[in-house]
Amino acid sequence: MVSKADWEIAPIHIDPDTTEKLFFTDHEWDTIEAAAARIMPTDHDPGAREARVIVFIDRYLSGIDYLYAAADGSGFLQLADKDAHAARARNANMQRLYREGILELDTKARELRAPSFKEASDQIQDEVLEQISGAPKPVPVSLTSREVYYSRLQGNTDEGKSFFDTLCLHVRQGFYGDPVYGGNKDQMGWKTVGFVGPKSLKDTMDGTYSTAEFFIQEYDWEDLVPGFKHSQDPTSNQQQNGQ
Amino acid sequence: MKRKMDPVDVVIVGLGAGGGPAAKVLSEAGYKVVGFDKGPWLRPEEHYSGDELKFQNRSYLWPDVNLMPRTVRSDDKSEARIFNFSPVPSNVGGGTSHMAGWMPRPRVSDFIFHSLHGALEGASLADWPYRYEHLEPYLTKVEWSYGISGLAGADKGEGFRSKAYPSAPLPPTSFGKKFYEGSNKLGINSFPLPMSHLTEGNALGRPAVNRTSFWNQYGDPTQTRSSVATTYIPEALATGNFEVRADSFVREVKVGKDGKATGVIYIDPSGLEIEQDARVVILALGAIESARLMLLSSSNKFPDGLANDSGLVGKNATFHEYIFAVGLFDRDMEDPLHGWTGNYQSGGSTHFYETDESRGHIGGGIIATTQIGQAINAIMPGRPTWGQAMKDADRDYFDYSMKIGFILQDMPQETNRVDLDPTVKDAWGMPVARITNKPHANDIAMSRWQIDKNQEILQAAGAKKTIPVYLGDEFTGNACHQQGTVRMGTDPAKSVLNEWGQAHSVENLFVLDGAGFPTALGVNPTLTIMAHSWRCADYIANTYMKGRSERLNLSPIKKS
Repeated sequence: MVSKADWEIAPIHIDPDTTEKLFFTDHEWDTIEAAAARIMPTDHDPGAREARVIVFIDRYLSGIDYLYAAADGSGFLQLADKDAHAARARNANMQRLYREGILELDTKARELRAPSFKEASDQIQDEVLEQISGAPKPVPVSLTSREVYYSRLQGNTDEGKSFFDTLCLHVRQGFYGDPVYGGNKDQMGWKTVGFVGPKSLKDTMDGTYSTAEFFIQEYDWEDLVPGFKHSQDPTSNQQQNGQ
Repeated sequence: MKRKMDPVDVVIVGLGAGGGPAAKVLSEAGYKVVGFDKGPWLRPEEHYSGDELKFQNRSYLWPDVNLMPRTVRSDDKSEARIFNFSPVPSNVGGGTSHMAGWMPRPRVSDFIFHSLHGALEGASLADWPYRYEHLEPYLTKVEWSYGISGLAGADKGEGFRSKAYPSAPLPPTSFGKKFYEGSNKLGINSFPLPMSHLTEGNALGRPAVNRTSFWNQYGDPTQTRSSVATTYIPEALATGNFEVRADSFVREVKVGKDGKATGVIYIDPSGLEIEQDARVVILALGAIESARLMLLSSSNKFPDGLANDSGLVGKNATFHEYIFAVGLFDRDMEDPLHGWTGNYQSGGSTHFYETDESRGHIGGGIIATTQIGQAINAIMPGRPTWGQAMKDADRDYFDYSMKIGFILQDMPQETNRVDLDPTVKDAWGMPVARITNKPHANDIAMSRWQIDKNQEILQAAGAKKTIPVYLGDEFTGNACHQQGTVRMGTDPAKSVLNEWGQAHSVENLFVLDGAGFPTALGVNPTLTIMAHSWRCADYIANTYMKGRSERLNLSPIKKS
């Protein structure tokens, strides 16, 4: 077997402006792009459409070549053996989920007398999304209401999710993921929320990228930890460093 | 036909927090040691970077649930479902490859939980077979070799320490400062929790951590986070006595006619089945997988699983569910909190660690304010999932929210356990671990009380809204902490291992991960696992292997 430690890197780069479709048909591409634009809409900041989330999703669905970027962003890892086998099976399920989901988007749009989902008005598109999500369109966060939640696993895999939940997750991933994966064009997603991310993945590897400037620059532990005395405590670091 | 390798002194299965220190101690003592890991031997400088998709959404480092599934159910009557329970990376380095790196010490009270509380109905409380003072020298050894930063003396309830930390902590982040402000208003003793990295001017002379912020669940390409893959494993290799066999799945521990372990059978990277004999077998796969391997290794002598004559292998599992409260702040009134910066946690407290029965539960745990994460997975319970409301929530609160988390000290229960799933198999064709668990009433009460307290701290810090995340009906394993499945104790009828992690009934079998912990601790277990492994490896190297066990004047701690 080829160990994960030795997976080859294919020097593939994704052009965020491309209109070349690797998985979607023209119609499917337009449909998902329209749905993504309702999930992460454009306002005074860019949305899914401008950030080219559709390119991100198309590449992800095209196979397993775009699953893991090389650590420095110089290409994509070529999975091997067991890992490749499992990833291909997952990918086939994902492709089926999307194809069926797109048919459903169009069917629901036609029930609302639109020619297709992509040609429907924003309002009808939202209505279709409400229907397939099984819940009303989310309302703004309220600072006065009280909700209670329970623990869940960290991380956010798309395994086992419905088409709608998968699409919402993929739109987030395409909007906020590293641009090397094809979405988040020009870091539009990051700029929208104020995330100062790395210029490139490579910058995260050698210490070039750091959030040091966002730490508190002037502080004193004796103020932050009342009752703690740096100099008088026999086990303090200062004393230790002075030894 | 099986191939057979030349015998060695010691085999270690699992090269994470438990296996790493043992590899170092035993190979430095001059023994020939072979270490197995079923995962790859990744090279940090080549394989890791700040890629949120790869590490948090697509399981590059986390186990692929289709290859290494686990199943979960809440009791014997419910059907188990496949779930990525307690996903710890399967690779050389194990959990130390992805962990955020909280490294607090356990407390004196952790070792005498039963003595302090007596019997708790529905739980199986027990004392440890040794005390804090037995471990203290090893806690210090780990802090000073692995590389930990902290502020000695700032935690007012800490047990005796023989030496301060080799490194000062990182400065507070913006959200860390808020946490101190909120805590101080309420009179709560808070301090920078020890972390597994070093800062500028540390006493070990190693590079300072670069504050990359891609930290919790990420591999560290700069190797400035202390990990066993970049400390103890290379140190063991440098002796010339240690060999790593990565991508090698150990499927059975062999037992001889005399009931002693004779070595292991593993499947090498090319799929060949190979035997490796050894004088001593050490298991350190994490509490779930160590128990699984023991159950897989049944034999004539041990029909119910290796060293399972007590029937306790797999039982009394504890998982430390991670729960928290999030506070949302008003961006018109506050400076940004930059919750995506820092090396995960910034400021914590053990103020609520010790039992105060007026709270309605026994025990307690550690709390800390932590990153909310990068943009895809930024933690905001109840965030709208689509549309303008989602975009507005992201824009309004990504930089104006903070989280105070809690390591829940769950009570051991015999019914919370690991056994072999009757139907689901892994990519090697072996039955997977099935986890049965249900929180104890004390766990639920502790969850409620502490998360409500965390909300109070957030409010004192200025949060306009607080959102609680309590413990649910089942553990999810989201802390990636595993303890208790192969209990240590003084009584062979009530435990599997003695105080050296040595099986009562198989004298050359040792289990040196969190599996031996009779109770869960109220802190993250990694430092304790490492110190415990070092202590036990010291015993193996200097006492057991030299045939001096009989001469050891054991005065076992009285059962309480």
